[in-house]
Amino acid sequence: MNFSWGKIYSWINERVHLEDLVEFLGKKYVPIHRHSVWYYFGGVSLFLSIIQVVTGILLLLYYKSGEELAYESIQFIMSKVEFGWLIRSIHSWAANLFVLAAMIHMFSVYFGKAYRKPREMTWLTGMLMFFLALGFGFSGYLLPWNELAFFATKVGTDIAGVIPIIGKPIMIFLRGGEEVTGATLSRFFGFHVAVFPGIFTVLLGIHLILVQRQGMSEPLGLENTLGNEVKTIYGERSRTMPFFPNFLLRDLLLWLIVLNLLAILAVFFPWELGKKADLFAPAPAGIKPEWYFLFMFQTLKYLPAQLWIIDGEVFGILAFGLVGFLWMLVPFWDRKSSKGEKNRFINYIGIFIVMYIIILTILGWT
Amino acid sequence: MNEIKTHAEFSPHESKRNFLKYILSGGLFALAGSILYPILAYLNPPKQGEVEISSVKAGKLNEIEKDSGMMVKFGTKPVILIRTANDELRAFSATCTHLDCTVQYKKEMGVIWCACHNGKYDLNGRNVSGPPPRPLDEYRVIVQGEEILISKKV
Amino acid sequence: MKTLSIIVLSFLVSLRVSSQQREDKCMSCHEVIGDNVAEMYKQDVHAHKGISCSGCHGGDPHMEEMEQAMAVEKGYIGVPKGDDISTVCAKCHSNAAIMVKEYNSILSRNQLEILQLSVHGKLSVSGKERIVQCTTCHGVHGIVSVKSPSSPVFPTHVPKTCAKCHSDAIFMRAYNPALPVDQLEKYHTSVHGMLNAKGDHKPAECVSCHGSHDIRSAKDAKSAVYPTNLPATCAKCHSNARYMKEYKIPSDQFKKYSVSVHGKALLEKGDIGAPACNDCHGNHAAVPPGTESISQVCGTCHSLNASLFASSPHKKAFDQKKLPECETCHGYHEIVSATDELLGVSPDAVCSRCHKENQNQKGFIVAKKMRELIDSLESSDRIATLLVSDAEQKGMEVSEARFKLRDVRQARLQSRTLVHSFNLEKFHEVLSNGLTITGVVKSQGQAAIDEYYFRRWGLGIATLIITVVAVSLYVTIRRIEKRQTRQE
Repeated sequence: MNFSWGKIYSWINERVHLEDLVEFLGKKYVPIHRHSVWYYFGGVSLFLSIIQVVTGILLLLYYKSGEELAYESIQFIMSKVEFGWLIRSIHSWAANLFVLAAMIHMFSVYFGKAYRKPREMTWLTGMLMFFLALGFGFSGYLLPWNELAFFATKVGTDIAGVIPIIGKPIMIFLRGGEEVTGATLSRFFGFHVAVFPGIFTVLLGIHLILVQRQGMSEPLGLENTLGNEVKTIYGERSRTMPFFPNFLLRDLLLWLIVLNLLAILAVFFPWELGKKADLFAPAPAGIKPEWYFLFMFQTLKYLPAQLWIIDGEVFGILAFGLVGFLWMLVPFWDRKSSKGEKNRFINYIGIFIVMYIIILTILGWT
Repeated sequence: MNEIKTHAEFSPHESKRNFLKYILSGGLFALAGSILYPILAYLNPPKQGEVEISSVKAGKLNEIEKDSGMMVKFGTKPVILIRTANDELRAFSATCTHLDCTVQYKKEMGVIWCACHNGKYDLNGRNVSGPPPRPLDEYRVIVQGEEILISKKV
Repeated sequence: MKTLSIIVLSFLVSLRVSSQQREDKCMSCHEVIGDNVAEMYKQDVHAHKGISCSGCHGGDPHMEEMEQAMAVEKGYIGVPKGDDISTVCAKCHSNAAIMVKEYNSILSRNQLEILQLSVHGKLSVSGKERIVQCTTCHGVHGIVSVKSPSSPVFPTHVPKTCAKCHSDAIFMRAYNPALPVDQLEKYHTSVHGMLNAKGDHKPAECVSCHGSHDIRSAKDAKSAVYPTNLPATCAKCHSNARYMKEYKIPSDQFKKYSVSVHGKALLEKGDIGAPACNDCHGNHAAVPPGTESISQVCGTCHSLNASLFASSPHKKAFDQKKLPECETCHGYHEIVSATDELLGVSPDAVCSRCHKENQNQKGFIVAKKMRELIDSLESSDRIATLLVSDAEQKGMEVSEARFKLRDVRQARLQSRTLVHSFNLEKFHEVLSNGLTITGVVKSQGQAAIDEYYFRRWGLGIATLIITVVAVSLYVTIRRIEKRQTRQE
């Protein structure tokens, strides 16, 4: 068997010079330190996004957009198509795990200040992909056209509508009209399966190429003590590991575990479909967005109706928008880290935000 | 894999290494199988190819005599196809509007009849006697050559 | 001759005027000329209240000269025609100032308004006037109080008054050709009609059910005789124990009916297909159905049950013992939805009332067997349904089995009807058919549930494979790293 692998390798190598790639990968090293474990979350996110692509394409074979058929077609997939229940449940579960893994990846990069020069572009593309992931989640949530999703979308797009001046046009653009209707469903379907994946692929390509070109960053504190010597290979052996095969195989090992976890979740906790959306029914109790929007949803609930001269809700949305924007631009205003200096202030902000998200998510959940 | 092989030659534990290799490659094959099997099964179109049935083939014209009725399964609902004495084809929901029994064509009386409570419908599906509170829903009958098709009324 | 009589007349008139200061000249003149109308008016309730002819016809009753008394300038209108008749009545009857203040009347003052909204307020065939005017029923000139037994609208006279038009086939054809004209005839055969004819004013006549001024078509949902309103209309009298006392019949029919399967269907669900009082008792010819006709009455709707019963051995037995057919088992008025409990030989089953282990034994055995069969199908159906729902809950596809459950339901319904044939063989056939289907459904449901557990097995196997690969991958990594260390 190995014999034939070798043959195939040399056959391809003769034509496209795989050696260069192998050599490049062979010279790539991953630093080892007590925070190395966080490196794996990028890989897990990548794996989950691959799963999303595969299961998403499979679902597309039977899914039918449109008010009359969306719900019924999911029902059809769940009951009539062999293993349809599995594919759909995995798609739903993997979506949630993806957001979670991406969040962990993002915060680990943040606390390690890995966004600092020269990796600003990696951070930026990553952030954009994260926002896209939220868009994927929001748009995908509506596609089964069930009651909960319908009202969550109504509330979600309503929130967009309160932004001064540009809010209303945005809301109408999202909804494809004044109200959430079949037109909204068609739009969201378009975003979910065509617009977002296209943009995502480009961003992911850039992100991965940058990671490969620049290698893994090391947490600021650690690098300071070790200096640049880390990259001298065998001398500092205990401090690094080869990307290939060591790190890649470990990545694969973790992916296997994640795959197994997904299968267990899908079998034991199949994703529910609920009741079909009824445009004229009153909103049922307990309308909640997906968990990753919960902290924002909860904040808006706590804000007073009137905050000084502006509407509480408007204030909340603008504040979240501003924080998100600043967060994305952190490599450009955190000068200290770029110079290799410690910046505790950044850590305090990060800790505050993590605590804030955790506490409000718990409050919103219960 | 290639690399593993090259290094394997230097290993002092050749047999142990080979054993591991078999387990790993066997496992990978099994894994590929257990991922591909559901996917291939999923790709195989189910018996009912569409989400919702909009029309069904009821059979050939020569399969139904004049002045008789015939049951057709329309998705999960029964439909009664009737060929009247005047050679007209009509189709109605076969679910009695009284208590959901299945109705049948009664040749002697020339009506659609429900055995449960003697409900009768005329050949336009209108409830004419007995307990049924409202008429039977009508379906559209299309004849294409010899083939009879039944579809939902739009 | 004519001139002479006028001279004599005017002489006489002048004499009376001189003797009586404020004499009604209309009356005195018309009396003298022997006008029948004047004689009639003397008996009129309006005359008793001191209202002159001019009250309706206008003019000045104090004028000596006819030309002056009946002058248009004095408001004389002659004989009112068409709608003007009712307008003249309403001049006073719709005016509170006159009715209450002058005459101390308690009559309602919207009678004309209501009449015009009623079915009788429609335009007549001429298109110039409404069908009915006040005078149509109350009469003219000789109008008496409705409480007076001589009034055409006194209860004992009402049927005849209404029949003036309603029994006239030619007249009625012009307005409602589909409406029968035999109501009066039918009414005379009813208990109400017979008592009414004897002069009893308490039993229901036309107005008691249909209303008086406010009569609406029976198809009008606001009509007192519209199916959903009818039971309450009958109950006005029949639920009044004091009112019904002298007739020696119970007054709990409405109460019983409202909890019956028919009453609930009609009054709660508004199903106008369900029978109201009149559907069993008749409307104009209302009588309690006789013992022998009860199955015919019930059979108008429950026809299959009735015909099965009629050809069953029970028919003869019931006839001999003079037992009312349906009623013996199902009761009357308070007919509840029939359950399987009625069948069999347990103490609350109806069969055991006649069929005992030692008495009428053949029926006892059949009843027992039927109940066993119906119970076994019921439990089999329950188990099959549970299995299918369980499989559905688990997200399995069981629409095929669901579809078959319809046939089970049908077999159960049919078996309940077939009980009325009291023929074990026929009954057994339907039930065993039902049992076969439940068997199939059960196995399909079970298969779906098995499939559900198969998924867990599949997961287990996949987990095992993944674990093997993961472990061997881990060992491989360790090996590679060990080798790398050695290499250095």
